[in-house]
Amino acid sequence: MGLIGYLLLAAGLFSLGVFGLVTRKNAVGVMVAVELMANAVNLNLVAFSRFHGGNTGQVFALFSIAITVAEVVVGLALVILLFRARGDVTLDLASELKE
Amino acid sequence: MNAEQVLFWLFSVCTLVAASGVIFARNPVASAMSLVATFFFLSGIYVLLWAHTIAALQVLVYAGAIMVLFLFVIMLLSLTDSGPVLHFTPSRIAGGVAVIALFVSLTAVFRKLPTAELTWVGDAAKLKNFGTIQHLGEVMYTQWLFPFEAVSLLLLVAILGAVVVAKPRI
Amino acid sequence: MIIPHFTLNDFLPVMPVGVLMAAAIVLMLSEVFLTSTTRTYQAIIAALASIVAGGIAVNNAFEPARLVLQGYAVLDPFSSWTTAMVCLGTFLAVLLSAGFLKHRNAERGEFYALMLFAAAGMSLLSLSAEFITLFINLEVLSVATYALTAFLRRGPRPSEAGFKYFILGAFAAALLLYGAALIYGATGATKLVEVSAALPAAFAKSPALVYAGLGLVLAGFAFKVAAVPFHMWTPDVYEGAPTPVTALMSAGVKAAAFVAMVRTFLFLVKGIDPVIPFTVFSLLALLTMVGGNLLALPQRNVKRMLAYSSIAHAGYMLLGVAALFAPKLVEAGAKVGVLTATPLTGTAQDVSVAVYKGLLFYILGYTVTSLGAFGTISALERREDETRGNTWDLERFAGLAQRKPGWAAAMALFMLSLGGVPPTVGFLGKLFLFSAAVDAGLLGLAIVGVLSSVIGVYFYLRVVVYMFMRPAPIDAPAPFRHWTTELALVTSAVLVVGLGILPGTITEWFSRVGMVFGH
Repeated sequence: MGLIGYLLLAAGLFSLGVFGLVTRKNAVGVMVAVELMANAVNLNLVAFSRFHGGNTGQVFALFSIAITVAEVVVGLALVILLFRARGDVTLDLASELKE
Repeated sequence: MNAEQVLFWLFSVCTLVAASGVIFARNPVASAMSLVATFFFLSGIYVLLWAHTIAALQVLVYAGAIMVLFLFVIMLLSLTDSGPVLHFTPSRIAGGVAVIALFVSLTAVFRKLPTAELTWVGDAAKLKNFGTIQHLGEVMYTQWLFPFEAVSLLLLVAILGAVVVAKPRI
Repeated sequence: MIIPHFTLNDFLPVMPVGVLMAAAIVLMLSEVFLTSTTRTYQAIIAALASIVAGGIAVNNAFEPARLVLQGYAVLDPFSSWTTAMVCLGTFLAVLLSAGFLKHRNAERGEFYALMLFAAAGMSLLSLSAEFITLFINLEVLSVATYALTAFLRRGPRPSEAGFKYFILGAFAAALLLYGAALIYGATGATKLVEVSAALPAAFAKSPALVYAGLGLVLAGFAFKVAAVPFHMWTPDVYEGAPTPVTALMSAGVKAAAFVAMVRTFLFLVKGIDPVIPFTVFSLLALLTMVGGNLLALPQRNVKRMLAYSSIAHAGYMLLGVAALFAPKLVEAGAKVGVLTATPLTGTAQDVSVAVYKGLLFYILGYTVTSLGAFGTISALERREDETRGNTWDLERFAGLAQRKPGWAAAMALFMLSLGGVPPTVGFLGKLFLFSAAVDAGLLGLAIVGVLSSVIGVYFYLRVVVYMFMRPAPIDAPAPFRHWTTELALVTSAVLVVGLGILPGTITEWFSRVGMVFGH
């Protein structure tokens, strides 16, 4: 399979993630969408690593996994905080952006 | 069509279907379980790219640790179906259009890239090491020391941040 | 297997970070082992650590620019000065927090530890010379600030602000990471030096891939520095965060992200038509300067107004960045336009020294002014106000001059400095940046900058007018007094005036050649 197939798959995943981020109302749903985006980037890195025949991309992907974990932990703690403060975790990023 | 291509199509279609499930599922638990499926299919893709270590870690870290965390929070807060998932307000429709534009432009970017089958461009010695856990471990501890140490700082900060944020009261 | 060999030389740039981290760990542990009721000692430890770290950074600033730590980090005056200013900002923010948290009965070692970790992240971000390192350090800084934003538990506002900051931060990080992945795909390298060496060839082979990577990286950074149109998160997050944290975000986080952006793009524009990065940065600068000032204009909420004002100030710094990327060769007889470079003398001068001086001085000036302004409003906030909506309303500043002349004078000074009125540091910073931009031929953009800062003077002076010319309301709050808060405000005020009148030695230090590695 050519490189382009993997890159298109990654682009599709990334776009789905962005779509979820924009449209989901549930805070956990938004975080799940961010996860999809991180995975799409990892797929890119691994595919490019195979393309270049070097390990750099895989090391990058490993670090990226660690970064995502750190991010998710704090994000879920924020979801819990949000739930405690408001009793639900629905939010509308677009409508809360008041001027 | 060879076996690799068959597997690629199988895994990529499954990945995209599962990812759509993540975004469009009403039930948070269903959404999270779709995410597990996405992670598994993606690790299949990683094996096709000869990245066996990453494939294993994908299952261990994402499907194992992160998903448990997500499910734990969903259950803890007993999140259930809360109204329709998608609200088509003007800003959301604009977001959808922007996403389609993003995908189309990314496709246009990638169209110029070589479409030939991936071939091995490095030398044979590199091929033996490629993607093995031994080699990745070696380079992480020798060539990538500074980022590696920075990640340890990041994890410490994340632990502290999570504890501070999740505390019931300050 | 190659065993890496390090010398002390390699660790010089990360020594301030080491001091900050050590103090942060001590503060974390102090919460476990020492449970005394007075916790002012924690603020003092944190403040001392930032002074020591800042001193080491100033000492580093006179080393020649070079790559260290296997090429993952740079030691150059630009990053050392940024570290020093981050430490100054942290020092002031820690002092402000001591009084602020004590008043709310929320003084905790974790808070100061997170602040020091955030400062460590900012310092590391400014010296990263490789994409993975840059990205990890950006996350260190972001994760610490997400937690700080949601630190207080009063009403839903902090948690909403924290979550919104988290989501937009994670989105920005994903964009940046995607861009870095595409650039790695095009060049096969992640170290900035190697990327810039491989870029011309990659550009010839697949220009679209490189452009997409650069665009995504720029969008990621634009979110972090809150450039219009990537600024939407700023007012809500700045308003919801505890005010001392907002002060640190507006000064330190932004400065570090700015320095990282400049460093990254200095390496990434090799082999590209110089008009493209110049036009993009000019456009961002134009939108951010004008947009930030126009959006701040109708604000009656002083904290929100300062948030928009911080966007506008990012715009002035972007003007400097645009001047840095101004094309050196301009055809004769080009018309003066907002997005074009037309040198007055016909040939463009090399303005990089002037731009770095301007940027660093601007960051320094904005750090002390912003810490002072946010610090004053943090002292005026009362704990009882937090459930009310009008905590930071202009009315609350009415008549402050009669009740507390010292506080009103300090706030007026910070407002004048933000507006760029002489003899404050804000005026000099603008002067340096705008004159560098004019020298680079950005006459049109500099005029827009001056005009938009004139709009800014209106809403800064409105606060002064309220303080000095309006009668005080009956329920007017008295400032919460704590010696650390007063020390921080006096330090800021002295620096605002002192640097505005006698910038002498500092500007000489900032205008040395060889400021930035590789440029």
